[in-house]
Amino acid sequence: MKFDGSIYLAGFLLLASTQAVAQTPPGDAVPTTGPISGYMDFHFNKGEAEDGVLDFHRFVLIVSHSFSPRIQFVAELELEHAFVEGLEERGEVELEQAYVDFLVTRPFNVRAGMLLVPMGIINERHEPPSFQGVERPFVDTFIIPTTWFENGAGVFGEVGRGFRYRAYVMAPLNALEFSADEGIRNGRQKGSRSVVRNVAYAGRVEHIGVPGLLLGASAWSGNSSFLAPRLDVQVSVGEADVQYKRNRLQLRGEFAQVWIGDAARLNLTISQLTGVSPNIARTLRGFYAEGAYRVWQGGAGRDVVGFARYENYDTQFRMPSGYIPLKQFDRDAWIAGATYYPDPDIAVKVDYIWQRNQSAVVTAPNSFNVGIGWWF
Amino acid sequence: MRYPTSMVMAVALLMPGVNAGSQTQRRVVRVSAERFAFTPSRIVVDAGEEIEMRVSSDDTAHGFRIAGTSVNVVIPKRGRGEVSVSFRAPEPGRYVFECTRMCGAGHHFMRGELLVRDPSASQSRK
Repeated sequence: MKFDGSIYLAGFLLLASTQAVAQTPPGDAVPTTGPISGYMDFHFNKGEAEDGVLDFHRFVLIVSHSFSPRIQFVAELELEHAFVEGLEERGEVELEQAYVDFLVTRPFNVRAGMLLVPMGIINERHEPPSFQGVERPFVDTFIIPTTWFENGAGVFGEVGRGFRYRAYVMAPLNALEFSADEGIRNGRQKGSRSVVRNVAYAGRVEHIGVPGLLLGASAWSGNSSFLAPRLDVQVSVGEADVQYKRNRLQLRGEFAQVWIGDAARLNLTISQLTGVSPNIARTLRGFYAEGAYRVWQGGAGRDVVGFARYENYDTQFRMPSGYIPLKQFDRDAWIAGATYYPDPDIAVKVDYIWQRNQSAVVTAPNSFNVGIGWWF
Repeated sequence: MRYPTSMVMAVALLMPGVNAGSQTQRRVVRVSAERFAFTPSRIVVDAGEEIEMRVSSDDTAHGFRIAGTSVNVVIPKRGRGEVSVSFRAPEPGRYVFECTRMCGAGHHFMRGELLVRDPSASQSRK
């Protein structure tokens, strides 16, 4: 791969920021944080045969307020790609979370507002220091459309020794925005005047009772053809994941599958509306496995973690009758890299992505990525 | 370790007049905090039992407060030691423990339960 001068700029910026943090005496004083929290995500991405891009990808502020010990509010406001201009496809301003919790008992509490769909490892925990790699996993982008947020209400709680659950009623997806390459991702209504002709049901259960081990399973189901009521596009998403940490070792794995009902008629309807067949699959599937190891511990929470992840994700996994899968969307990737934590809340990341697909014509570009993210 | 463990000893006497140097054997309970959960999230003790909780974080600094008691401390960030809280278990009942330091969007979900049993009732069940 040939790199241009922008990679040196990216390297310089990240090195400077890393050294500035490392020079701070690692005292025991606990930093103070008020009612505002947040996270930020700054990337350099260099795709093969492409120009390097520096992107302030995410600037997120989280505010909370306790009306009383039992009634609490949380909101997350996100600016993506640093700049937003009307009628231009550049940045986005998103209200990813804004909900009120009514804390009743340990096993039963109520939540309402703009909610993160409780789905998979990343959707609810997407802050940069909490995952390996500059970008989020592909499976959590193309199969599970992270960050997936929607208006809704539901219940949550914990029972027994470490069984946690969340169960929500939410606005559904808009199937007319589905696509061959990104699956259901563009169907998110994002809580903006969401149509609720039908509702969707989302739920997740987790077991955290064994130290170091988290087992999770999620499901989402909803009729998503409200703009074409003659269709019956029942969409279901199923997911299972495991996370394990012991001493310096961290392991993660996730499997997710999407089923789209009435996909043949959905393709036909969109073809009639736009003149182009979207080639939407009836099943999407993805999975990944990741191993990470804390290769260096400098004390006071300063660490270096090396990692490798294999991902396989196919947004054309099973096609409706009469449609042929586009093989460039049957993809897999190896991601290897390292994360330096000058502080447990700051992650300086570097990785390389080897991508492949099953197409004999379209190639999948490899990429080199550097990023810095922080969370407070 | 390069830096000495920053052990913070916070002795919270929940019952007036309790002597920290009591002859009673102290039970040590280790609790791990990580956005947005405590592990274990449910702790069962007997009323009057001497408890020492050693709480550490696997990421950022968190708060640790047991509602209805005077236990309210800050847990240092990962790699910066642990906080130890000694107390005598209060009257039988359910006591919520929670993070008191805003640590992210799931902060309010970071809670657990201290279940204090009546020891005489426990004996009779045996």
